[in-house]
Amino acid sequence: MKRVAINIISAAKISAPTKIEDLEDKRIVPKMMLRRRLTRNAKIMLYIADKCEFTGGKIVYGSAFGELQSTVGITDAILNETQISPTLFQNSVYNSAPSYFSLLNVDKDEIITISSGMNTSLAALKTAALQALVSGERVLCVATECLDIANIEQVNSCRSFLEAGAGVVLEIAEDESGAVEIESLKEEGTIESLSHLVSLVNMQEKNQVKVFLTL
Amino acid sequence: MRAYINSYESSSCAGNTKELMQAIYEKKSAITIDTSYMSETPVGLGMMSYENFFDEMNSVVQSVLNNSNLDNFNNTLLIVGSSVGGMAQSEEHYFRDKDYKQIDPNKHAISVIGDSLQTTFNFADVRAISTACTSSANAFLLAKRLINVEAYENVLVVGADALCYTTVCGFYALSVLSSKVCTPFSEGREGMNVAEAVAAVLVQDKETDDSIELCGVGASSDAYHMTNPDPEAGGAIASMSKALEDAGLNAKSIDYVNAHGTGTQANDKVEGLGVETLFGDVYVSSTKAITGHTLGAAGALEAIISCETIKQGKIPPQTNIEKAENENLNIPLQTIEKDVKYVVSNSFAFGGNNTSVIFGGTN
Repeated sequence: MKRVAINIISAAKISAPTKIEDLEDKRIVPKMMLRRRLTRNAKIMLYIADKCEFTGGKIVYGSAFGELQSTVGITDAILNETQISPTLFQNSVYNSAPSYFSLLNVDKDEIITISSGMNTSLAALKTAALQALVSGERVLCVATECLDIANIEQVNSCRSFLEAGAGVVLEIAEDESGAVEIESLKEEGTIESLSHLVSLVNMQEKNQVKVFLTL
Repeated sequence: MRAYINSYESSSCAGNTKELMQAIYEKKSAITIDTSYMSETPVGLGMMSYENFFDEMNSVVQSVLNNSNLDNFNNTLLIVGSSVGGMAQSEEHYFRDKDYKQIDPNKHAISVIGDSLQTTFNFADVRAISTACTSSANAFLLAKRLINVEAYENVLVVGADALCYTTVCGFYALSVLSSKVCTPFSEGREGMNVAEAVAAVLVQDKETDDSIELCGVGASSDAYHMTNPDPEAGGAIASMSKALEDAGLNAKSIDYVNAHGTGTQANDKVEGLGVETLFGDVYVSSTKAITGHTLGAAGALEAIISCETIKQGKIPPQTNIEKAENENLNIPLQTIEKDVKYVVSNSFAFGGNNTSVIFGGTN
């Protein structure tokens, strides 16, 4: 086990009970052709990256359930024996959201996508800290979930926010002085897979910006 | 600390690792022409024989443990690479019931692979990567770095993807499936064969008599298109170059490239250009004509093939090729017996996600 101290450089979060209304996508993605192809996860991820003022570099993205809307569209097409949209299929992979960031910003750096169930944001943070440690660079760590699909109530009974995202830009701290463990500042109704990142954003808002992480 | 591969096992349509290597060297493809996934449309698929995919996965991981220097995995980090997780089970429920009521969200997600293995083996911690077809290659990237910084002594990389309708029908929608056994790097190739596999590789910080070194890892993004690769092969060249740099090697050191080589028009043309540009006349072949494209498991399965190539001193021939599209590539048509020191294994994915891994002999 190895423990490191990280500095939180910037942080952002957003959530809504169903669909997040204004993700500023027209400003963030001016090209209509690209904007039209974005998944909901991609729009939220781009919004968080924009609020964190991250324009390029290594990204660690997390999502427990990935691109549910695309997956549902594909399985519906198979069930109904209709044609599958190639765009839906290309958008169904878990790394779609950060890949759209890469396209938009011509970012040719490494992208890792973590999907560790309800531990997703903690696993993503550990991975981002590793990436920062080996590269000496600042890394964007962001996680999103979009559960806003028809009939989601058949499998969801405890999450109030069907769309949510949280992210931080982090770097390895030069020393451990003043660093603290991650406090549990998660928000009621937000899916557990985002809880560690949400807590970190809330800590940053309280000016606690140096945190320990065990790789 | 340096990273060493000390135990591995796999299960694919070609059988276990021993059977797989025999099929590769005898050029016997294990692809089946199937019409059950695509009604009345034949497609070549790599289908495993099992009653339960998760039991097969447990069996492969148990075999790695049995052949290792460990008594258990309690001090081992598990990193899973998968692109579909529990999708096949979700499809079964949804196509039967036409609703989601019987679908367990936790058994749908990618994390079901790690959760299932954790129940049996009690790992120190579990993480899962899902970057489509580079998933388990990226697991090696993290495994090597975690060992390099002395965060873990043991990391088990598991690549696991089962066949499902979503991937077979989805790739068909992209018009990249082959109706026969795929023909990587061939002129006039038709496309790829979707396949399934489980591959498990134990990476440790200690060298044994039988170790293969995990020498270098490199990754890049194309930033070009969601599914088509950069036609100038910039992303592929970048990932291979970074892996060389990480390993402290130059291109002339490499004896063999185990290509991503899916058999699609776009991939093989661009990857061939990248290999030619960086390595010149190095031996290169794709073993996907034997196994099919095992998606998120491909990086781990082909890591095992790369290790076996070094241990056996035999470069895999290209199965199912008559005339190469790129005649500048050095594609072996028969098994080449030679001392193999270093092998590059490539994995490329949707989103322009590229990962290259270098394996090296220690004797």
